[in-house]
This record gives sequence, C-alpha cells and structure tokens, in this order.
Amino acid sequence: MPHSPDDPSDRQPESVGSEGEPARRRPVPIDRRSFMRRAALGAIAGPALLDFLAACSSNNVAGPSGGSTPAGFQIASPDNPVTWPIYKDNKPIKSGLKPQAGSTLRLYNYDDYIGPKVVKEFEKKYDVKVTVSTFNDTDEALTKIRSGKVLYDIYFPSYDQIAKMVTAKLIRPLNHSYIPHQSNLWAEFSNPWYDGEWRYTVPYTVYTTGVGWRSDKIPADIGGMANPYDSLWDPTHKGRVAVIDDWHTAMAMVALRAGITDINTQKAKDLTVIKNQMLDLNAKTNPKVTITMYNDLPAGQLWLAQMWSGDIVNAQYYLPKGTKPDVLAYWFPEDGKGEVDNDLMVILSGGQNPVAAHYFLNHMLDTKNALDNFGYIGYQPPQNALDPAKVVADGYVPKNLESAVVRREWFTAGYRLLELPPAADAAWHAIWQQFKAGG
Amino acid sequence: MSLDAPPEPDERQDIAAAPPAARTRVLWPVLAFPGTLWLVLLFLVPLYVVLAIVFGQIDPIFRSPVPVWNPVHWNTVQFQDVFSHIIGSDGFFGPALLRTAVYVLSASALCLVIAYPVAYYTARYAGRRRGLLLTLLIAPFWISYMMRMLAWVNLLQNDGLVNRALGLGGLFNVQVDWLNGRGLVVVLGLVYGYVPYMILPLYAGLDRFQPHVLEAARDLGAGRFDTFRRVTLPLSIPAIVAAVLLTCLPMLGDYFTNDLLSASPSTSMVGNLINNSVLTPGQTGQAGAFVLLVLVVSLVPMIIYVRSARSEGVAS
Amino acid sequence: MSALTGWWSDPFRKPRVLQTLTVGYLLWSLLPVVIAVVFSFNAGRSRTVWQGFSFRWYWGDPERSVWHNDSLHTALTHTLVLGVLTTAVTIPLGVAFALGVDRWHGRLPSGANLLMLLSFVIPETLLAVALLFLVTQLTTPLQLGTSAQVAGLVTFQLSYPVVIVRARLVTIGKQYEEAAVDLGASPLGAVRRVLLPLLAPAIFASTVLVFADVIDDFVIVRYLSGDSSSEPTSVKIYNTARAAPSPALNALASLMLLASFLAVALGLLAYRWLRRGERGERGIESFAAGG
Repeated sequence: MPHSPDDPSDRQPESVGSEGEPARRRPVPIDRRSFMRRAALGAIAGPALLDFLAACSSNNVAGPSGGSTPAGFQIASPDNPVTWPIYKDNKPIKSGLKPQAGSTLRLYNYDDYIGPKVVKEFEKKYDVKVTVSTFNDTDEALTKIRSGKVLYDIYFPSYDQIAKMVTAKLIRPLNHSYIPHQSNLWAEFSNPWYDGEWRYTVPYTVYTTGVGWRSDKIPADIGGMANPYDSLWDPTHKGRVAVIDDWHTAMAMVALRAGITDINTQKAKDLTVIKNQMLDLNAKTNPKVTITMYNDLPAGQLWLAQMWSGDIVNAQYYLPKGTKPDVLAYWFPEDGKGEVDNDLMVILSGGQNPVAAHYFLNHMLDTKNALDNFGYIGYQPPQNALDPAKVVADGYVPKNLESAVVRREWFTAGYRLLELPPAADAAWHAIWQQFKAGG
Repeated sequence: MSLDAPPEPDERQDIAAAPPAARTRVLWPVLAFPGTLWLVLLFLVPLYVVLAIVFGQIDPIFRSPVPVWNPVHWNTVQFQDVFSHIIGSDGFFGPALLRTAVYVLSASALCLVIAYPVAYYTARYAGRRRGLLLTLLIAPFWISYMMRMLAWVNLLQNDGLVNRALGLGGLFNVQVDWLNGRGLVVVLGLVYGYVPYMILPLYAGLDRFQPHVLEAARDLGAGRFDTFRRVTLPLSIPAIVAAVLLTCLPMLGDYFTNDLLSASPSTSMVGNLINNSVLTPGQTGQAGAFVLLVLVVSLVPMIIYVRSARSEGVAS
Repeated sequence: MSALTGWWSDPFRKPRVLQTLTVGYLLWSLLPVVIAVVFSFNAGRSRTVWQGFSFRWYWGDPERSVWHNDSLHTALTHTLVLGVLTTAVTIPLGVAFALGVDRWHGRLPSGANLLMLLSFVIPETLLAVALLFLVTQLTTPLQLGTSAQVAGLVTFQLSYPVVIVRARLVTIGKQYEEAAVDLGASPLGAVRRVLLPLLAPAIFASTVLVFADVIDDFVIVRYLSGDSSSEPTSVKIYNTARAAPSPALNALASLMLLASFLAVALGLLAYRWLRRGERGERGIESFAAGG
C-alpha cells in the first residue's frame, strides 16, 4: 500500500540517526480526516479478511481430514460388540490388484515397534520402499492423521480409537481377498468384539501391562507383595521409577491399585480417587513418564517401572555386555485380572498406496514373518503356531520372564482399555494433564 | 564493481524519463514489500489463528479445535479454564509456571555469572590469543543444541563418565541418578545450552568501549575494583540487558532440555505444558492459551530489547 | 599479607582468576562434545564404556551405521536440503526488506521493522505452535513437511540478514548511492551496482549464519515435520536420545558438526577475501558480529 505523500508522518525522520543516537520521536497527531479514512479501511478490510480466513479453514473441506462431524459414535466393548458399517463413500479396494513397483509405503508406528528385517524382506519381495515414521503416543498420532496433512498408509493403534476412526472415515475397510494369512491367527480375532467380521482391522500384537524391575538392584520380591502395584509408590525407590507415558494405560494401573476394576470408569468418585493417587505418586517417587523402559531398565537408569510385557521381553536385547537377562523380572496378576490388550494394523484412507498396504498386512500375518518380528520387538503376535506354553522353550522369552508371556485365556479374564465417550475422555485427560504438570 | 564506473548510457536515458526522487520513492516500498507480506502472512496471521483457536470451539466428538474467526463470536471458556487452574485451590498449573520462572531466572543468573567474566577477559586481556579464544567461544554456537544435550545425556548415565569420575575411576561405586527428575540438572542443562548465546552479545558490548576511558579512571586513582564497579559495569549495562533477554526469551519456550535430562513431571516447565497439550484432544486450545500467556509475559522484555536495539542503532 | 595487597593493587598484574575461569569455561563447554565425538568411534554399542576404535557406526555396521541406516542418512540429507532452501529464500527476501525499510521512511516501514524485530526475539516454541496451527487449520499451499518447515524457518531467520545488513548500511551511509544517482544511475542501478557490492560482506556473513542456524534448528522443524522423510538430524537425535540411542547417533551428530564447521570455515575464508583491503579488518570477530 503506497503511502500518500501528504501524510505528515512520511516526513518524520526514522528513529535511527547516523551516529546511533536515537532521534526522539514525538507522536504525530493524527488528524480527523486520516483517522476516519483508516477506520473506514479497517472496517472494510477486517471482515473481508475474516471471511477469507474462514474460507481457508480446513474444517470446511470434505475429504480424509474429515469435515462433517458425525452425530455421535458407538463404543465397542466385550459386552457390547460392534460391527462397523461400510460407508458408500469409503469402500474396500478392488480385488486382484498388484502393488505398484517403486512406490512408497508409509508406516506410522511407535519407535522400535517393527523389525527392520521383515520390512526389508517386504521391500525386496514387492519392490516397494517402506518408510517408518514414529509417534510418542496415539493421541498425538490421531491428531496428526486427522489434520489430513500427513499421508500415511498404515497405522498401529489399539482398539481405543477405532470408533472415531471408522466414523470419520479415517480408515479403509479391508478387502479380505488380499489377506489370506488372517487364518493363522487365534480364532477369536476373526470376529473380535471391537470390529465384527474384522472389517477394518487385523491384530498386530497382544500384551499385558504389569510391573517390571531389576531383581539385582531391588532385593524385595515385588511379585510376591500383596499388591505389587504399591511398589511404584514406595519412596525407597524414589528417582528410579517410571510409569508409561500414555494417559489411559498409566491411570488404569492407578485404578487397579486402588481396587477400581472398571478401568474405563465414568464415576466422579472413582476419578477423584485416581487423581489423588496420581498426585501421591508424584510426591512419593517422582517417577519418569516415558515409554523407553525397554532401554532404561536394562541400562540401569530405572530399577522399577510400569511396563508392557513386550517391553520387558525386548529389554533383554538392550542389556549391557556381560549382564545376564536373569536380572530382569516382570509381574502380571496370575489370574489375568490386569490390563490385557492388543494392538492393530489399520489402513488409513488418506494413504496413497492402499494395495501395497493390504499386501503388507498379509506379509506381517505370515507365521514366519510374525515370529521373526516377535524376536525383534518382544511383542507376541496372536499366531496359532505360537503356543504360549512353548514360547520359553523355543527361546523367545527367557525363563525368568515367563510371566510376560500372554496367555489366551487372559483375554477373557483381563480388563480392556476402551474408548471413552467425549465427556469422560475429557475428565481423564484433565487428570493426566494435572499429573504431568507436576503440580 | 568499482564505485567510479561511469553510468551506462541506458541508465542516463532513464533519468530523462522521471525525476529520480519519485522513482526512489517507489523503489524502497517495492523492496520492502515481499518481506513485509511474508511477515504478515507467516507471523501475524499464525498468531491470529492461535487467538481463533483459544477463543474458538471444540468439536464435540473428536475434541479437536474448531477455530472461530470472527472475534464477535469468540468464547472464553478455554481461556478461563486455563486461568482458573493457575491460582487457587485447583491451581495445578501454578507450580509449573512458578517453576518455569525460577528455572529461567536462576539459569539466566548463572549464565551471566559465567559469561560476564569470560567475555570480559576475552575483550580486555586476550591479547594475541583473542582470535583463537573467540573461535573457541563461538564454537558451541555452531554445534547443534541437540548434540550438546546428547553429550550430557551420555555423560550423566548411571554408568556414565560423571559418576565414574566422581567414584575416582572405580574406587567408589557412585550411583547418582542424575537423569531422573532433578531440577538442578535441568537448570544446569539450560545454563549449558544457552550460555554461548550470552557470551557473544556481552563480548560485543564490552569490546566496544574505549580503553582510554578505563585508563582515565586509573589515572584518576581508581583501583581495579573501583574502575570495574564505577566505570566498566555501568557502561556494560545495556549489553547485559540485551544478553540476558536473548537467553531468557528462548528458555521460556524450552521443553526439550527438560524432556532429555529429566522427563519427570516434577520438573515440568511451561514449555512442557504447551508441548504436552498441543496434540492432545480437547487441550489444543489450552496450549494456545499458554502460548498467549507466555507471549504476554515475554512482550515486556521483547519491547525492552527492541527499544534498546533501536537506540544502539540497530540490533546486532 | 602485604604481598597479597601489593598484588591486588598492582594494576598490571595478570588476571589469573579470570584466566582460570575462561579456561575452565572452555573445557566445560567443549569437552562433553569432544567426548561425544570420540564415542562415535567406539567399537562397541556402549556410549559410556570405551571398547576400541572403529568406523562401525559410520559405515562398518551393515544395519545401524549412518551409511546403511536409511533413516539416519535421510535425516542428514533433509537437514542440508532445509539449510539450502531456507537460506536461498531468506537472504534475498531479507536483504531487499532491509534496504526498503532502511531507506523508506514512515509508519508502515517502521511497523514492518517492529514486526521483524519481534520475530527475532519471540520464543521459538510460540512461533512454532502458531505455525502448526496455521498449517493444520487453514488450507494453504503448505503441507507438514518440507514446505511448512522452510516457510517457518524463513520467518524465524528473516531477521538475521535484515539486522546485519542494516548495521552495515549505517556504516556505509548514503553518500555513495547519492553520488551514483547524481552521476546519472537509476535508483535500482545504484542499488545494484553500488550498494550491493558494498553490502556483499554483510550479505555473505548472514548467509553463513542463517545456514548454520537452520541446520541446528529443532523446535520449528519438529512441529512442522510430516513423515519420517522430513525429520532432520536434530529431531532424529531428540527422538532417539529418549529411546534407545547407539553410537550411530553420536556419529550422525559428529557429521553434522563437521558440516557446520565446514560451512563456517569456508564462510570465514570467503568473508576475509570479500573484505580484503578494508581497514580495521579483524577477521572472526567482525564476522561473528555480523560484519
């Protein structure tokens, strides 16, 4: 915008003098005429700019970023199994296609949660380049996916986001003809409660969430305590303790410690108990909040931590030279009454390579590949060929970590981390936020 | 191209077309325009988006932010929510904000205590070794912050070199867990990270004043300490202010030093509050509110800096 | 005691305390980095116990070395790409802005100048979050990944060339271009043929400064990264340092260090060459102070 030459302010010298001496500027009185002119300009330009911004707002744009807000969503649970609809505008891909040679398949996953070898084999077999991007927690991941600004093909969530993802059409229904290896899986996964007829998902791994510790550093038998969760509140371990950096996983453990077995509770009373226990945890042991126990426990940075079963199995590969795996220990309730979950593989509708993605899912369900991957990440695949009773004998898991092997019957006895309705979700997140603020 | 090159004929013809003053008047705005447009689009507009999110709505299902562009429809629920949790019985953000202030101020003070003597020595006494010394002082400036933090993460492991040095190489078994939620380690990490940013402006300020001022003070009978207290220090105040501001401001948004050296809620700073909530469903607006809060708090030092930069001629 | 007071009052005594402090500071600031570089040559996996010298983490290890691990060298190349692109946009934009704002007087340019100075001192996290909101909430040509990262970095770096070029403009004064115009040059011709050559050292210094600063940037590039292909070295170091780092990470960081130092050393040499023959030439200091 060119300045009109009659504006007196134009003649004002700049504040910078050549000697570095500030030339003190007196405010220039604005005459009425120019004030009115500016006000008028502002009145015209302001709303026009706002309209422009509103027009650019990506929330108005339909597409994978999900514009229209659905009226609501169902919540699946073992007592309330759900079979998700297949929408007209989000259908499975056609059968009989081949992955395009030279194309790229983008995975979105936790760090160190897929074996490089199985990935390399897939790349070689189909001439497809695979890239792995990582996230820290699934909240962050879903936010980025929903923004529609990152185009991944395959995502590895748990079932606690599935309703949102299906309803917003963020994930594609599967074409089963590409995934014959699904038959290698435990029978219950052909009609799981969270996704009837496995229309949208295949399971990736099964795991429990318990307590891991270094038996060489901590003499007490944590697993033998009346309530082993109490150990995380024991001030003698202060500064050597960690909990998992996932709001629901960590808070559910706190609920279980307090005897609240509904780990998806919506009762205000229960939430107050959980909140107080969490703050107490901060005060008592000042825990780290992280997902890197598989490295920190074997490195001796941590002595005691809430852990996923797969991470304690994986930890044996991160021990320093000369330390034997028998220093690692893991506790999960013998009766299976703890957190038992499974992760999924889903194909994102924003992805550019759905055909290769189907082939990749099938590749990962192949028994040999699944076992290879198990050997790398420590998380057990629900493969029929993998007899939980023989996992130790086959050398996947050391004898002292037998408690980290996931037993099939625990899937009926254990508690699941479910999706929460928005209001409850907000209440849980608020407590987590307070906990993490350290206040 | 040398200065005394004669103007080319075609340029002479240009002059005939219009008086130079008029064309100059067009030239400068044209040159300034692209940069100004860039700053408006990518500096001012983003800050407005923050406002639109903080005072906007939340999608009822996904709890993702729904920005409201028109200020007439702004709603202050999210903003109030954050503020109601800063002070009072339910003020759980309060301690983190207080902690931020304490960490940033003590780290800046420590930075100054370290940086001032070093800059002073380099400016006044380095002599022939000044070039080498400056190169070494500037070196950390070119080494990535993350690499310098990684170096400390390695040193501070339980079996790291620091513990082994403290144990005199195995004589004692020192097992200090430096990296598990110690506020002091975070503050020292901040000092280590930001002190190079302080040394340079201090050096530039101290190097600028003339030695004969100091000699005059000496000749008038002032001792070394008096000269420092009554001449050097007052003269270097503007440099100190600029240097402290230049280190304080980025520290206010720092969350990664804390993440790498502690990862414990007990050392959370406001940067962590922002970073934790930006991508959390339903809390994006709160992250925006914290951004505004820090912006308002840092606006005063920012303006002080800008003013001091102007009176210095230009910021340098 | 009298010896001590005598030493204290001697104005020409050596400032031993200051000297010790300075040397101590240098050791404290540089030694950790040197150790980190040394451990990038460790033969074993440990980052704390020396297990012999090898190039394993640079190229020896077939899976995890920088050379063979795709994600590590992707990070390295992406860092350099960001450095080059950002510098290429920032410098012309900033130099033109500096000239325009310096010579054009009025409220508009001083407002623009204020905006620029604010972008210089705003805590980076705030700018990064604001840009993330912009990119995710508005439909713009920017995508999370390279385009958004470059846009964000240019915004954050723009002030460097502006501040440095303006500082130089103050010392140059207006007489040269006025003389050129008097001699018949067009205003643009005067800028191109008189001012720009005089500004060359300042432009050059800011080029090096921006490049070196961009390849170290973390906050903006992390918030605005898309998939793994747009995660530069600093983000890679941050992600891995919090998970399971190996000396390959030290190797990656050491390579970045090398890149930075090469850029700066080349810059310094060229800078000296550009300012050859000028009085008061003090090499690195005036370079560091930005010309």
